[in-house]
Amino acid sequence: MNHNELDVIILGGGITGAGTQRDCALRGLRTLLIERSDIATGATGRNHGLLHSGARYAVNDPESAAECIRENMILRRIASHCVEETDGLFITLPEDDLGYQKTFVEACRRAGIGAQVIDPDEARRLEPSVNPGLVGAVRVPDGSVDPFRLCAANMLDAKLHGGEVRLHTEVTALIREGSAITGVRTRNRQSGEEEEFHAPVIVNACGIWGQHIADLAGVKIGMYPAKGALLVFAHRINNLVINRCRKPANADILVPGDTVCIIGTTSTRIPFEECDRVAATPDEVSLLISEGAKLAPALSSTRILRAYAGVRPLVSADNDPSGRNISRGIVCLDHAQRDGLDGFVTITGGKLMTYRLMAEMATDTVCRKLGVEKACSTATLPLPGSEERSYEAVARKIWEVPSTAQKAAVARMGTGASRIESSKPADKALVCECEEVSVGEVRHAIANQDVSTLTDLRRRTRIGMGTCQGGFCACRAAGLLAQAHGCTQRARTDLCDFLQERWKGSFPIGWGDTLREAEYTQWVYKHVLGL
Amino acid sequence: MNLQESTVSRYNFEECMKCTVCTVYCPVLQVNPLYPGPKQAGPDGERLRLKDPWFFNKALKYCLNCKRCEVACPSGVGVADLIQSARIRYDHSAPKLRDRILANTDFMGSLARPFAPIVNGVTSLGITKAVLDATLQIDHRRSFPKYSGRSFESWLRRQAARQAAFPEQVAYFHGCYVNYNNPQLGRDLVKVLNALGIGVQLLDKEKCCGIALITNGMSAQATRHARHNLGALRQAVTGRGLKVVMTSSTCALTLRDEYPNLLGVDNGDVRDALTLATRFVYERLENGAKLPFRKDFHRKVAYHVPCHMEKLGWGVFSERLLRKIPGLEFTPLDSACCGISGTYGFKKENYAFSQAIGEPLFAQIRSVNPDVVACDCETCKWQIEMSTPYPVAHPISILAEAIE
Amino acid sequence: MKFDTLVIGGGLAGLTAGISLQQKGLDTAIVSTGQSALHFFSGTFESLESPSERLAELFSAAGIRTHYSPGVRLMPLGSFRPAALSLEDVELFPEPHFADKVLIVNFNGYSDFFPAFLTEGLEAQRMSCRLLELDPPELQALRQSPSEMRSVQIARIMDRHWESVVQAIRAALRDEDAVILPQVFGLKDPSIPGRIRQELPVRVVFAGTQPPSVPGIRTQQLLRRRFELAGGTFLSGDEVVQTHVHDGRVHSVATRNLDHHYLEADHFILATGTFFAKGLAASPSGIRESVFGLDVDCAADRNAWYDPSFAADQPYLHFGVRTDAVLHAVKDGTPMQNLYAVGSILGGTRPEFGSGAGLAVRSAFAAVDQILNQYAV
Repeated sequence: MNHNELDVIILGGGITGAGTQRDCALRGLRTLLIERSDIATGATGRNHGLLHSGARYAVNDPESAAECIRENMILRRIASHCVEETDGLFITLPEDDLGYQKTFVEACRRAGIGAQVIDPDEARRLEPSVNPGLVGAVRVPDGSVDPFRLCAANMLDAKLHGGEVRLHTEVTALIREGSAITGVRTRNRQSGEEEEFHAPVIVNACGIWGQHIADLAGVKIGMYPAKGALLVFAHRINNLVINRCRKPANADILVPGDTVCIIGTTSTRIPFEECDRVAATPDEVSLLISEGAKLAPALSSTRILRAYAGVRPLVSADNDPSGRNISRGIVCLDHAQRDGLDGFVTITGGKLMTYRLMAEMATDTVCRKLGVEKACSTATLPLPGSEERSYEAVARKIWEVPSTAQKAAVARMGTGASRIESSKPADKALVCECEEVSVGEVRHAIANQDVSTLTDLRRRTRIGMGTCQGGFCACRAAGLLAQAHGCTQRARTDLCDFLQERWKGSFPIGWGDTLREAEYTQWVYKHVLGL
Repeated sequence: MNLQESTVSRYNFEECMKCTVCTVYCPVLQVNPLYPGPKQAGPDGERLRLKDPWFFNKALKYCLNCKRCEVACPSGVGVADLIQSARIRYDHSAPKLRDRILANTDFMGSLARPFAPIVNGVTSLGITKAVLDATLQIDHRRSFPKYSGRSFESWLRRQAARQAAFPEQVAYFHGCYVNYNNPQLGRDLVKVLNALGIGVQLLDKEKCCGIALITNGMSAQATRHARHNLGALRQAVTGRGLKVVMTSSTCALTLRDEYPNLLGVDNGDVRDALTLATRFVYERLENGAKLPFRKDFHRKVAYHVPCHMEKLGWGVFSERLLRKIPGLEFTPLDSACCGISGTYGFKKENYAFSQAIGEPLFAQIRSVNPDVVACDCETCKWQIEMSTPYPVAHPISILAEAIE
Repeated sequence: MKFDTLVIGGGLAGLTAGISLQQKGLDTAIVSTGQSALHFFSGTFESLESPSERLAELFSAAGIRTHYSPGVRLMPLGSFRPAALSLEDVELFPEPHFADKVLIVNFNGYSDFFPAFLTEGLEAQRMSCRLLELDPPELQALRQSPSEMRSVQIARIMDRHWESVVQAIRAALRDEDAVILPQVFGLKDPSIPGRIRQELPVRVVFAGTQPPSVPGIRTQQLLRRRFELAGGTFLSGDEVVQTHVHDGRVHSVATRNLDHHYLEADHFILATGTFFAKGLAASPSGIRESVFGLDVDCAADRNAWYDPSFAADQPYLHFGVRTDAVLHAVKDGTPMQNLYAVGSILGGTRPEFGSGAGLAVRSAFAAVDQILNQYAV
């Protein structure tokens, strides 16, 4: 059988695409996922990583809220190694209307979200970093979710079920036969290789870039690019998510995720052409700090690691200039019904939290078109890595006394950490000291997770996501990658690209310790190492 | 609002640039591969521990708390404080009996002192050392410090009236070592201060500063000592208006810095009054006070800066004081850890590490070939005397010998 | 405490100034906040294109060997850079093609040295390379720790066991005419790199590693020892927290450790470095000099501090304190009569002194001369 003939081709390597590929693969379809860059490079990897309880939407968008809490509970089960069950607070500050709390709690209850009003003292005890001036607090089942891990785990499961993945590959054209799309032409952006793939159904899961694919198909989707800027702080200051109990506004969510915490976001409408080059502006940075400090005053004196921005793939519904009142609702378009174009499905809107549901809806549509009747199982089958819920238990099963790096690996990979080679001392040597990533883990990622660049490696292992932002580990990792790929010329360019990508997120907040670190990195790479 | 004008974090841990300079100066890392090193154990580990206390690594117990990482850090990170405070927060395992014995220096001293000749005889017996080694893992190659038959406190109490007659007074936090093992150092201090016209008083019942309790994982008991001592210090400083001098650099660091930084015991009202004897005397001489120096004094002195003195940054006072002594030939030794670090080197499992850490220092001392090694720390004294053929004396004792 | 000169900053500039003054009999103290940028020293005095007898003399008295030979040096990632005056560890070549066949030696599991990059760089210069990976049993203990196969830890062991490495290389040599080794030799004993060169029959090149730099640390320690043996006072791990300035002169400073014990001096030298060393501090509202609040030459608008390209020359790296022609630091537009700024804190404001290590040494000598002139009768 020709590997270029498939049942379904999914375009887009974000969480929606990855989730759809997994669902399709679990239902027995031959799948191929095509991504022009790397996994989770769009909106998937550019948000808070908040495991929404749905409380944020409860008042304005009860439908989204109900979806969120259902998916929240599902993700705790199926993606435990990507999720931290931290809980969250919705705090009322003196300048906020305490009356809103009642509306909020009632709306939460209606949506099925456990929302418990707690005493401000109790809130201060639970989360010592919270603004001590709070006058009200509600505890909700928020959490955090690592989007890179979640995306990689979905793809990994798809691959375990026969799926194929082509990263760094762009779609140059859709193949059309009469009134149907029957395949895609692609070009690998690194090697230049061109290929053709055929399938009776193509799923457009490209987020905001889905508009471009729709253009290729000759159909119109009105995307609404809304930019959101966020800041990553160098360490956790909070262990519970902190939200403002008021109508959603700028910079009112602080999420603890892995070794850092993230404040966001802003919302600004941007022209579609700017989607590929969004960055946080100085004004957004100032706003995030000043508003964030109201949630947790420590933010005004905590080192910032990065500023970044993402684009929400909202589908435009009205002329709301802020974009906030648009439903985060899921849009699943069967273009045969909508536009008379067969073999083409668009799945968009939605959000990280509801990716599984979106994937289910898209896969249902695909299956209906293909006449496949197998039911969706993604709500119950754990993702690879999440077979066991507690990472402490996982670590104990693999090693008698886990080292810090082994603990960190389990926290990143769940049960998958057992596949990391650690028999020789050299495997245990650390590449990234900030995030405790070992040579064995790096080699494992390179061998099994479609890593072609240092930046790809970062998304799979957290290399370079720590305090030094790759200053120390990048050249070590580049050495390992050069060894694996046997090509130093590419390693050198890759190292430069990696440092550039880190700098892009550093200079908008280039002061204090961040500037010190940046100066040090300049010094080491330019003067000492001679890059 | 002052946003992002500076960063403030626990022990400045986020000012860490990951430059690894601390690892260059960590004496433990040079000999013990089981220790993760100050960077990993300190600021790197802290980020993980903030995520989940599960990331606490028991190997942090190998930290000597010498603080050389802090002195070396170009960013002002309280690396050793981070490590010790993590041990206090997360390590709830009960300390071994042996560690309890070694850590309770004042309790042991008060038990042993009345029977000093017997205790000294017994602890220096080969058989006793073998038994201690086998039962308690206290290394048999170590000699226990000798206990003195008469405590310094009882000696000073007997001449309270004589001391009270001096026009000016200070209080003396003598520490366990002077009280039980080396009262002569205390008497030397009294001689020097008396020569400056200053009388010496005891604190109202001092307890061990508690450093050994902290490093042996008994921080609750250390905190009780700290609270007690602060009461006594307040009584002297605010009650009697006295300065409090110390001879031990480690006691000084503990009282001034470890109490607030590690134990959370605020000493802000008395901290400025807590000083080292060498600093106190040097400042007096600088302000014009005179000591009756002997004309016939000749000594070749190599000065070793103990780790905690290095951290205090006060080695300069001892050095400058020694340099003021006529007839004293002064050679500075490279600042390096001697390896004993209080009770650390006494433990069987640490003996080899301890000697390996100290070797470069011992080699330098041998090459300088001094008459005497000067040093402000009692445990460095034991270590250097055990590991080299040279006698070790406190700068105050050398000064006492150099005056009429 | 009263000194003739107080130097703030214990890196290359501060130590050069401190040693020079102390040697001339001026009682000098250095206040040093932690260890210095010498720990990341590449081994080459950039921008010192001519032989400096003064520097060679000062260094050799401290036991540090330098050499001068304009040409190029091999960088750790395989490129070549112009270099002239360097530590003895750094091999200088008239042109990049320094051999036909090169044996690159690394230790198994040591990832802070980059044979793959070196090979690529050398092959581009028509040199063929072969990699020899050694696995000396003496390094076994280090391997047990996931973070200790690092330059300094290896160097500490190589101080004792370098000869067995030399033997292994000699046995492995075929027809190579050069050997490249990582710079992990001679941490305590500066003679080791030279002895390795003598013991091997081919040209020996020590290529740099990921910091910390072994030759840099050795340099720092030998300079500090030289300063202290000359009678200088080195206050390590301390920082100036308060200054007393009247009528354009610094009278004394207070430090964190010595609190109320003020350090007085006739002359002050500021050698505190830039951002990394905290000599300059950047906040969203601007850039200030940390100790005295001196005038800083910098862009007021924060957006002009950076170039969005990492590879580009970054404007902030050129910010520095303002001085008059003889390095008197300027505060509120007026030169301070007894305060000299030296080293990287001058930033790009005094291009005649060059940059990096060259700037540190040249400006230190210039300030020293200013001070000594005032003592000359």
